[in-house]
Amino acid sequence: MRWLPWLLGFAPAWGQSVPEVVAQGEKVFNQTCATGYCHGLKGGSGGAPRLAARGFDEAYINSTMTRGVSGTAMPAFATILSRSDFVAVAAYVATLNGIATPNVNLGGGRAGGPPMETLSRDAARGRELFFDSLRGFGRCSTCHEVNGMGIPVASAIAKVPADAAALRALATPGVRTATVGGEPMPAVVVSQGKTRTIFFDLTSVPPVQRTLDAGAASLAEGSRWSHASVVGAYSDGDLESILAYLRAEVMSNR
Amino acid sequence: MPMRFLPILLAIAALNAQTPASDGATHANWPQYGGTSLSWRYSALDEINIGNVGKLAPAWVFQTGDYEQGLQSTPIVIDGVMYVSTSRSQVFALDAATGSLIWQYKYPLPRGRATAQNRGVAVADGKVFIGTYDDYLVAIDQKTGREAWKVAVNDSRQCGCTINSAPLVAEGKVIIGEAGGDGALRGYLTAFDTQTGRLAWRFYTIPAPGEKGNETWKGDSWKFGGGATWMTGSFDPALNLVYWGTGNAASDLYAEDRDPGGNGQGGLNLYTASVIALDADTGKLRWYYQEVPKDMWDYDAAYESILIDREINGKMRKLLVHVNKGGFAFTLDRTTGEFIKAFPIVELHTWVQGITEDGKWVGRKEPLPGHPVNVCPGPLGGKSWNQDAYSPRTGMIYTPSIEMCADLIANRQEPREGGGFLGGNWVLGLPTDRTNFSHVDAYDPLTGKRQWTYPSKSLLFASLLATAGDLVFTGDPEGLFFALDARSGKKVWSFQTGAGHRGSAVTYSVKGKQYIATPTGYGSLAAGMTAGLFADSDRFRGGSSVMVFALPEGSK
Repeated sequence: MRWLPWLLGFAPAWGQSVPEVVAQGEKVFNQTCATGYCHGLKGGSGGAPRLAARGFDEAYINSTMTRGVSGTAMPAFATILSRSDFVAVAAYVATLNGIATPNVNLGGGRAGGPPMETLSRDAARGRELFFDSLRGFGRCSTCHEVNGMGIPVASAIAKVPADAAALRALATPGVRTATVGGEPMPAVVVSQGKTRTIFFDLTSVPPVQRTLDAGAASLAEGSRWSHASVVGAYSDGDLESILAYLRAEVMSNR
Repeated sequence: MPMRFLPILLAIAALNAQTPASDGATHANWPQYGGTSLSWRYSALDEINIGNVGKLAPAWVFQTGDYEQGLQSTPIVIDGVMYVSTSRSQVFALDAATGSLIWQYKYPLPRGRATAQNRGVAVADGKVFIGTYDDYLVAIDQKTGREAWKVAVNDSRQCGCTINSAPLVAEGKVIIGEAGGDGALRGYLTAFDTQTGRLAWRFYTIPAPGEKGNETWKGDSWKFGGGATWMTGSFDPALNLVYWGTGNAASDLYAEDRDPGGNGQGGLNLYTASVIALDADTGKLRWYYQEVPKDMWDYDAAYESILIDREINGKMRKLLVHVNKGGFAFTLDRTTGEFIKAFPIVELHTWVQGITEDGKWVGRKEPLPGHPVNVCPGPLGGKSWNQDAYSPRTGMIYTPSIEMCADLIANRQEPREGGGFLGGNWVLGLPTDRTNFSHVDAYDPLTGKRQWTYPSKSLLFASLLATAGDLVFTGDPEGLFFALDARSGKKVWSFQTGAGHRGSAVTYSVKGKQYIATPTGYGSLAAGMTAGLFADSDRFRGGSSVMVFALPEGSK
């Protein structure tokens, strides 16, 4: 259900004509699908099958792109491309199969989240910072999944702090102290059963998911771990942009 | 000084004068991906040898049930237990004498991943390590098969990258590479503590601004410049150095956006298409040797580094032998990275006229924007990732080569993180004036002289295994597993295993009895891309089993 509001609300806001969508699709196709290991330019085949002039209809294109093809290198693009890129690529592949005016409001594509085009400049910058791969393990998405991207160590972000200071000083009651072999470590517990305890060790980034026999780890409430210790690489300005991005995401999920 | 100490001192001095050569042979166990961490893929076992190999017979077979992309693995064998991984990150522990299942581990690959591949595990410190297609590194308890820890090396949904290769273990660390350098990725190598899973170090194969080497990139091109570490490296415990090959520069075929100009002395687009030597404790770069400066052909240098000690001009030298996808082998000094020799391992290398005595390419034939340029080898390389072997008995490097060409068309492309970044396209083709397109060869790594060649019509995509029985084992896509005489290249034994070969055979012994084990089951990206070039490719069967051979009782 969470993607329904923006499916209805944002799709018209793209405001792109069909030729513009197809042109965007060709660009993304060339970057993502056309390589020599895969379908080739204009779908003329590379390592993977030819896509042009195969008589594919739009439903088939859409479902194949959504699900991928088992036993081949063709992944499920619904979880890889943004929704607007997904729709654009599907439209472009349709034109390669003689469908002059493809339907650009097809279902499928990635669930959730506003398209980049609808983010404010500040929020778009925040999104880049949140997922910034040049920061390696120092980026937010090392521990947070938002909109289908990032590693879900922390639980989903439901409330967005008011400002950078609040983000640094964030209370983290979910972080406890696990003691393993006499060594205490900050821990986010995943599950605690009769036989096994599973938790994330937050001692260093990236967090390590440990699975231990129940007796091998003892858990206590509280921890000296602080959110400030892992957001240090971002400036206050960076964090404000990230908060703007998160507000846009949380709003879109309501 | 009391006289009685003198003989001891003299004896120590004599030992120092002749440093014992590093021994990369395996014995009862096959402990690492490349046999030992020196990556010889050579066993000192000789119960099965050139004299009795004709009697070799099946001992047992294990079907994994995971037929995705064939079985590309190298089994690890320790103390009578075999550990083998399949493409969808399942791991099996088997009794290596009988093939019976001890435990299995099924990694929960996320749904929607239509394909996957995996080339093996590493075992150390009571754990079995596997890298997964969705970019996790997992440690499994060696005794129980239960997960001990796992860590996200990257987010595959964002980086478009995957882990296919086996990890390397070195002194309490597990080191894992990353595939995806034909997409917009900045390559890296990551080391974790074997016990806790905590990050030990990460080395980016492309330096950031302010770091030495970044000046070999134009503008921001370093951010998505490739250099993936998509195969497994080697480790020399005596030097405490980890050696790894790095992949192509990206975009693969179109290089103008990453060429900063200048004379390129010392390399262009560092450290792509290079062999790098890192301090095992810190991950700091000790030396590099760039095989293909400003790569424009997808000529990865990602393959194995074979660490051997050989005498040159009366002096024992620590060497590294490494094959580049451009179809040339390089022999380097592994202490310093000094170039010693390069020689072709393919008969067709039209992308370059040759290489000078000091390692400089002459007459490179570069792809052009918008116009097809035909070169051999094609982007699959003069050899695929299946690995060489080295026998200290013959002094030969054994290498599986392929003779293929391609029309390359370069096109300017903007990078998009995690998306394809080939900078053009290609059409693969077989050379028209030949009837065989692959061969196993024996080379002297010091002179580059070819001692023998064993030709094959279909592409040899399985690794080689050399043994002290003077045998070289490998398999072909048609399903034949066979042994060659290590000194002549003559085929001395073969067996139809029922599925094509894309994995790596190993040998080991249990209770004094020697076994030869090979994965079977054809698959992989390269296998899929080349199938269409062969009219009889229906004969290249998929599957996924471990097939094990031994000498029947009383037949020695």
